[in-house]
Amino acid sequence: MEAKHDVLIVGAGCAGMRAAIEAFDAGADVALLSKIHPVRSHSGAAEGGINAALGNASEDDPETHAFDTVKGSDYLGDQDAIQILCDEAPGDVYQLEHWGAVFSRTEDGRIAQRPFGAAGAPRTAYAADITGHVLVHVLYEQVMKREIPAYEEYFAWKLVMNDDRCQGVIAWDLLKGGLKSIGAKTVILATGGAGRLYVGTTNAYSCTGDGMALALDVGVPLKDMEMMQFHPTTLAPTGVLITEGCRGEGAYLLNSENDRFLKRYAPNAMELASRDVISRAEQTEIDEGRGVDGNVLLDLRHLGPDRILERLHGTRELSMTFAGVDPIYEPIPVRPGAHYHMGGVDTDVWGLTNVEGLYAAGECACVSVHGANRLGGNALMETITYGKRAGRHAAEWALANTTVEVPPSTEADAQRELKQLLARTQGERPWKIRDELAQTMHENFGVFRREDQMDRQGEIVAALRERFERVVVEDKGHVFNNDLTQALELGFLLELAQCMVVAGIARKESRGAHARPSDFPDRDDEHYMKHTLVMLDDDGRPELEWRDVTVTKWQPQERKY
Amino acid sequence: MSTHIAPAPGSSTIELALKIWRYDAETGEKELKRYEVEAPDWVTLLDVLDIVKDQQDGTLAYRKSCRMMICGSCGMRMDGAAVLACKTRMYDIAKSGHEPVISPMGNLPVLKDLVVDMNPFWGKVRAVKPWLDPGYDEVAEKERIVSQQQMNVIHKEALCIMCGCCVSECNSMESDPEFLGPAALAKGMRFVGDVRDEDDVERLNTYNEEHGIWDCTRCYFCNERCPKGVDPRDAIAKLGAESIKQGIDHDMGAKHAKWFVRSAMTTGWLRETELVPKTQGVISAIKQTKFALGLAKRGKVPPPFPPHVAERVGEARALYNLVKEQGREGALGIVQGEHALGRIEFTEEAGARENAPEIQPGVEPPPAEG
Repeated sequence: MEAKHDVLIVGAGCAGMRAAIEAFDAGADVALLSKIHPVRSHSGAAEGGINAALGNASEDDPETHAFDTVKGSDYLGDQDAIQILCDEAPGDVYQLEHWGAVFSRTEDGRIAQRPFGAAGAPRTAYAADITGHVLVHVLYEQVMKREIPAYEEYFAWKLVMNDDRCQGVIAWDLLKGGLKSIGAKTVILATGGAGRLYVGTTNAYSCTGDGMALALDVGVPLKDMEMMQFHPTTLAPTGVLITEGCRGEGAYLLNSENDRFLKRYAPNAMELASRDVISRAEQTEIDEGRGVDGNVLLDLRHLGPDRILERLHGTRELSMTFAGVDPIYEPIPVRPGAHYHMGGVDTDVWGLTNVEGLYAAGECACVSVHGANRLGGNALMETITYGKRAGRHAAEWALANTTVEVPPSTEADAQRELKQLLARTQGERPWKIRDELAQTMHENFGVFRREDQMDRQGEIVAALRERFERVVVEDKGHVFNNDLTQALELGFLLELAQCMVVAGIARKESRGAHARPSDFPDRDDEHYMKHTLVMLDDDGRPELEWRDVTVTKWQPQERKY
Repeated sequence: MSTHIAPAPGSSTIELALKIWRYDAETGEKELKRYEVEAPDWVTLLDVLDIVKDQQDGTLAYRKSCRMMICGSCGMRMDGAAVLACKTRMYDIAKSGHEPVISPMGNLPVLKDLVVDMNPFWGKVRAVKPWLDPGYDEVAEKERIVSQQQMNVIHKEALCIMCGCCVSECNSMESDPEFLGPAALAKGMRFVGDVRDEDDVERLNTYNEEHGIWDCTRCYFCNERCPKGVDPRDAIAKLGAESIKQGIDHDMGAKHAKWFVRSAMTTGWLRETELVPKTQGVISAIKQTKFALGLAKRGKVPPPFPPHVAERVGEARALYNLVKEQGREGALGIVQGEHALGRIEFTEEAGARENAPEIQPGVEPPPAEG
C-alpha cells in the first residue's frame, strides 16, 4: 500500500474537487486521484451555466426550480433529491462567487442569469459561455490553497473491497508506470460520464464511465442507464458542443425550408423546450428530409455582433474552428449528439452507495436528480451540491471509523491480471472494437429506439466483449503508457453498454431520453414510473430490478412545452 | 427512424505525411519518425495523431482530452511553434504538400514522445498564490456586488486554460529556468486585477522579486502563441504598471521603466548616458565607465551636457499627461477591456469561411530578440 487517507476521491472535475474541499474543511485527510490533471477535467467544457433560484433576473424560488426539474425529468427524478438540490443551490453558488468565480454580472452588479430550456424563470447563472471552465479553475484554486494532494495521471482500475467495505483504489501510475494501491476509509467516485460510447458526442476522450464500471464491479447497481441525453446542438462531424446559452440568448433553430420547425413540436417554449423534445424534433426533421446535410441550422445572426462577442465568444471560436462558420454571418449547422448520462451509480441523497465507504457524485452518480431528462444548467449545480454533500458525509464517516487495509491478495490478483494482458502479443488492438461500439450505439441506441435494434445491439455488444477478451496492448513500456489505459477504458465502456441495452429493452414506454415511437410511443406511469437497476450476477451477466420513484408533492402530469 | 452520422458537408479525404520526434525516457533514444496517413478532410493535428496511434504505432504518447480547446491537454509544437493539436486543422497543410515536424513543448522536461513533465509549470503557478484572498473566511448571505466593467478587467486572464504553450515559447525562461513565466504571471494578474482581492500589494511585491515580472524580455512570443487570446505579456505589463503605481519600484526593471518615462517627458528623447546610473545606481554605473568611454569614443554616446531637448517635446508631454489622466480607464483600459476572442476579425466581405490554419506550413519561429 502506497498511502492511506480518510477520503480518496477518484476524478477531479467539479464534483470531485468540491467533495475534496468539503471533506478537507471537515478535518479529514483527503486526496484526489485522477487520470488527467484536475483542470483538464471535462467539467471545464460545460458552457452555458449553473441553475440556482437566485432571483437576480426575475422573481424565482427553489420550489419553482424543483418543479421545473421534476417535470423536466419526465417524472423519473426522485423528488426528495431534487428538492435538496434546489434548496441548497443558491447558497452553493454564492460560495463559488466568494471563492472568486468570474461570473457575468447584471447591470446592478449581481450574478447574471439567463433563460434556459424548460425553466420557469431566467435561472441559469453564467460566466459568458465558459461557465464550466471558470468553475473548474476556481475549485482548483481552492484545492491549491488547501494543499490537498492529488495523484495526478493515475488511472483507477479496481476498487479495493475488504471486510465488505470499500477501502481504497488500485491504480496504474501513468507517468512512472506500475500498479499502485492507495488505501482509504472512504472512496468517492466522481469520474463523470460515458459519452465515448457514441461516435457523435460532446464528451471528452476521458469520458469513459470509469467510476460506473468500478462500482458495478463491486456489486453496486447502476440506475437508469438507458437514459442518455442527446444535446440538440452539437457540431458535425465529431459532436463538439454548442451551448444551450445560444438559445437562451434568443437563437433560432431552422430547417432547410428556413422554417422555425419547433412551432410544430413545442409551440409555447419553442427553442427553449426541454433537450429531449428538441433533439427528437431535429432528428424527425432530418429523417423526413428537411435537414441540411444531416443537420439543422442554429441561427444567431439576429443577436448581432456585440451580443455574440460578449456572451458567446467561445461558441464563435468553436464554430469558426470546427465548422468553418462565423455565426455573426451564417447559421451554424447542428444536430443531436450524446451529451449527458442521467443514469449512473445508484446513491442516496448523501452520495452513499449500498457498499459501506463507497460514494459517488456528479455525472457518474444517479441520485436521481435528472430522471429521464436533465435540464440544461442542472448538471453543474448537481456536481457542486452533491459533491459537497458526498464530501461531508464521507469525511464524517471516516473520522468516526479507523482501520484501512488493502489485502495483499487483492494487489496480487490485480498484478496477475495486468501481467496477462500485457503478455499477449498476438491479436486485435482495441481501436476497431472501440469504433464499432461507438458507431453501433449511435445507430441502434440513439435518439429513437426500437425493440429489434436494441436486441441487435445487445448481440453486437456481446460479440465485441468477446473480441475484447483477446485484445492486445502494443505498448509494453512503463512511462505514459496510455495504450494500456485506453484498452482498460474500452473494457469499462463495454460493461456499461451491456447494462444500457438491458435497461433500454426492459423499459417498454417512452419517457424523457428513452423514446420508442414505433412500439411504445407513450409514457406509462402505471408500469414504468420506476428506476431500472442493473447489477451483475456471479457469471458477470446483467440482472435487472425496478425501484419506485420517490414522489413527495408532484404527481405526474402530461409534459408539454 | 435511425440516428445516422452523416459525413461533414462536402467531406472527402486527404493524404498527408508528418514527422514526429519520438523519445523514449527509459532508453534515452531519440528519433524523428515519418508517418503517412489518409484522413477525412476536416481532421485536426490531434485527429491525425490518433490515426497514427491507432493504426500504425500504439506506443506513440501524447496527452488529449476535450478536443475542443478548453482542457489544455494537447499543447505541442508544430514546425517549432507551440499549438493546441485539437485546434490545428490540417487541410491546407496537406494540400500544400508540406510535411510538418511535431515535437514536444519547449522549456519543460520531456518524458515520452510529446508528453512533457508539467510539474515545473504548476510549481510556478503555485508560487504566485493562485487563489482569491478576499480578506475574510465566512461567506456572506449573497454575492458581492461587482460591475461587469470591473470583471472585464480580468476577462482575458480568466480565459487561460493552463496548456503551457506560452511557457513553451518563453525566451526568458530559456535563459533563466527559474523565471516565473507568462502563465503564472497572467494568473497573478487575474487576482491583482480582481476588485474582490485584498492582497494586491503583497502579491506585487512577490512578483517584483528576482525571476519575476521585470525578467520578461518582451519578445511577445507568449501573446503570439497563446491559443486562447490571453495575451500573457500584456498581463505582465499590467502588473508592472500596477507595481509602479503602488510605489513598488525596487527592481532595476522598474527603475529602468520609470527613467524611460521621465526622460521622454522632460526632454522628449531617451538620455542613454543617464539610463545606467538611474537604473542600476551610481556605484554600479562607475564600474561600467570603461564600457561607456569605449562607446563614447566610437561616437555612440552624445555628450550628456547640456541636455538636448527634442524640438517637439510638447507632444511627448501631452502624451504623458493623457495617459496619466486616463489611468486605468485609459491605456490600461484599452488592453483590459478588449474582448480577447473578439479580435478574430469580422468584416462583411470576410463574412464567411475562414479555414486558414493557425501556423503557416514551413514557417520557423523567428530568432529571439535581445
